[in-house]
Amino acid sequence: MRAAAIGGLLALVAMGVVLAVGRGGEATVVERADALAAQLRCPDCQGLSVADSQTPAALEIRRQIGELIVAGAGDADVRAHFTARYGEWILLAPSSPLVWLVPFVAVLGGLLGLATWLVSRRRDRPDDATPALTAEQRRRLHEEAEALDA
Amino acid sequence: MRALRWLLVPLIVLPLAWLLLSGFGRDPREVSSPLVGRAAPAWTLATLDGGTLNSADLAGHPYVVNFWASWCGPCVDEHPVLTAAQAEHGAELTLIGVLYQDATGDAESFLARYGDTGYAHVVDPDGRLAIDFGVTGPPETFFVDAEGIVRDRQFGPLSAALMAQRLASIGVSP
Repeated sequence: MRAAAIGGLLALVAMGVVLAVGRGGEATVVERADALAAQLRCPDCQGLSVADSQTPAALEIRRQIGELIVAGAGDADVRAHFTARYGEWILLAPSSPLVWLVPFVAVLGGLLGLATWLVSRRRDRPDDATPALTAEQRRRLHEEAEALDA
Repeated sequence: MRALRWLLVPLIVLPLAWLLLSGFGRDPREVSSPLVGRAAPAWTLATLDGGTLNSADLAGHPYVVNFWASWCGPCVDEHPVLTAAQAEHGAELTLIGVLYQDATGDAESFLARYGDTGYAHVVDPDGRLAIDFGVTGPPETFFVDAEGIVRDRQFGPLSAALMAQRLASIGVSP
């Protein structure tokens, strides 16, 4: 039982080493081109990446990505090459980190608004629901109670 | 506090309503072109009639680049608008048709059927020029001024009114 556990652990470690070594070093041109193609929107499709499409425009963009990488362009240069033509629209994920914050800011703002509304509603409600008795009412109440007692 | 609350209604609801309503007026597929205000891409391509055309040959005069295809329905609608514009402004304006993902034979049949435009059409075999212009689908038309700067872009078919409006941006008036 124990030997089996140790054996299993060793196998896992060996697998990890193989994976780490296999993935080590620079990504190949093909790997980089595939990763970039997956980040770009296919211009003549509906909601597909360049990597997922076989349209003439997607094929040409994949060819240009390969050409740019071989010519020494970095990943950012390749993305810039296409955003200069199509605008930010060509990127499937927005490049500005601020955009990712918008939903969180909106939810936080909503919660804050709700909280202020609830607090102000509680504050507006009078503490004592029954209005205080006037001196005259108090006197009459006293009299009637005494009359009942009598 | 109560007055402030009533002020919030026009302050938040109205701009939001305007934002949502204005969305009905525009084509959701249309994205603004980053090319407007920048130099038009350079190209050298074969024309439909067997010649060669270079974008440098067009320098010094305003020109219009129209991406079209024989399989494109709206291209049929704007065909007479383009033909009329070339006939009207022949001396001061050059129009160029670019075949977008189309066979030359089909394009020639289209021109034979709907009438010759009176201007040259270039073949963009691998779609490189369409990518340089950021075209997502025909018809799409770019208006370049005499300095070679893209001044306007039409997404979708041109009507006569839109053509006049866009041509004004490159200094061509009726």
